Amino acid sequence: MDDKAGYSARILIIDDEESILDGCRQALEKSGYTVMTTSDGPDGIRLARAEKPDLAFVDLKMPSCSGMDIIEVLSKEIPGIVLIVITGYASIVSAVEAMKKGAYDYLPKPFSPDQIRAVTKRALEHRFLKIESDRLREEKERMERSFITFVSHEMRSPLVTIMQYFETLKVISENSLEQNAKDIIDRCEKRLQGLHDLIEHWLDLARIEDGSFSEAKMPIVLTKILDRGIEELTPLCQRREITLEASINEPSAKIMGDQESLVRVFTNIIGNATKYTPPGGKITITMTQDDYYVYVNIADTGSGIPADKLPFIFEPFFRVKGKDERQKGSGLGLTFVKKIMDAHNGKIEVTSQEGVGTRFILRFTRLYEL
Amino acid sequence: MDAKKKVLLIDDDKDFLLATKLILEKGGYEVFLAEDGKAGVDMAKSLSPDIAIIDMMMETWSEGFNVVSKLRTSDTGKKIPLIMLSAVDLQGPYQSFEPPDELPTVDLVLHKPIKAVELLKFVGQLLR
Repeated sequence: MDDKAGYSARILIIDDEESILDGCRQALEKSGYTVMTTSDGPDGIRLARAEKPDLAFVDLKMPSCSGMDIIEVLSKEIPGIVLIVITGYASIVSAVEAMKKGAYDYLPKPFSPDQIRAVTKRALEHRFLKIESDRLREEKERMERSFITFVSHEMRSPLVTIMQYFETLKVISENSLEQNAKDIIDRCEKRLQGLHDLIEHWLDLARIEDGSFSEAKMPIVLTKILDRGIEELTPLCQRREITLEASINEPSAKIMGDQESLVRVFTNIIGNATKYTPPGGKITITMTQDDYYVYVNIADTGSGIPADKLPFIFEPFFRVKGKDERQKGSGLGLTFVKKIMDAHNGKIEVTSQEGVGTRFILRFTRLYEL
Repeated sequence: MDAKKKVLLIDDDKDFLLATKLILEKGGYEVFLAEDGKAGVDMAKSLSPDIAIIDMMMETWSEGFNVVSKLRTSDTGKKIPLIMLSAVDLQGPYQSFEPPDELPTVDLVLHKPIKAVELLKFVGQLLR
């Protein structure tokens, strides 16, 4: 019996003793449940597969088949089924074992009709709560996913269009604008780019959290990824008159990873370095390895991070205050970097000295291919 | 003097259409606008443009692909270069969007927003 609109819970009982089957059937049918019984283990599994009962009682000791195996099969194959073992007093230990394998409760022999009804009621309540919580979790996940979709389209589209208008404005006005008007356009574009980066970074993080990235991992030569990062940031370094120097000792070292997110790891860190390094400064990238790990060192001669701020730099929206407006980032760049490193079972460390510079050390586990 | 080359722009964002149209006109092209996929396919047939630029995400996430497929099987669409525009980085690490198994072939994919110089450069190259 179930309180929900005339639905009668369906219960399967697997026990080799016919008297137990009869007793259970009578006790449970009296309460309005639909009862199926069998004295044979394999037949019980077959019945459970075909009928998908809400609840199954399984005797642990049967001649034809081990009750433990039945518990294991049913808990794996039939989603949402609640399993209860029937056991003699002497086999409490095996009841515990069965609960480890997915049984929800146990019913010691001998038991009264009231006892089996009480256990059944509790088990069905548990099942109802579990179904309800699964439903709520799915609903929450669905809302989170659609929120990501919403942000990516509804926020990014207008922003992209505004950026395109500014691009157009520059083209159609060409030389007719005064310098101060051009400066304003420039500033607007920088702020828009910042907002665009913020949305992109936020989306990156959201997608890491929904786990849709680990499948893209494959064997990659780390140098190639690093080179792409360096290539992307070279023009920026030139504009800011910062020397970008790379020395790579082991060009062939491979790791397991996701190429595109790792490129972003490097562009994020190198990009950060350019923000805090004054013109004339230097960013040095070195790559080394030992038997187990590949290390990438990215050091700058920038303003450094105060020691009391250092523990927080990977936190979302944490920023080390800079003197210059151009240093404003999304506040999510390093959070992204840390998450990606975590997803690669990598490690990232940072050391810094104010006025001297900052050094990021990234460690990846080497991949040996046979 | 040669007649102006005709560019067909297909995007459901009117403002994006206007912004891009002005850049292309500055580059000396005659520009036609379609605000949805169906209008775009119809206009491609009636106008015989020299090139078409199609947004990937319109009414649906992959409407642009449908448009490209339809164009590629039409007489006009077979011959002309097609550029697809995307606000998401198709090469990027984690797309919530899954492209169809068989991507229709376009000549170029550009990301929004597009730098004016790049747009004109690529359109020029494809029309050469």
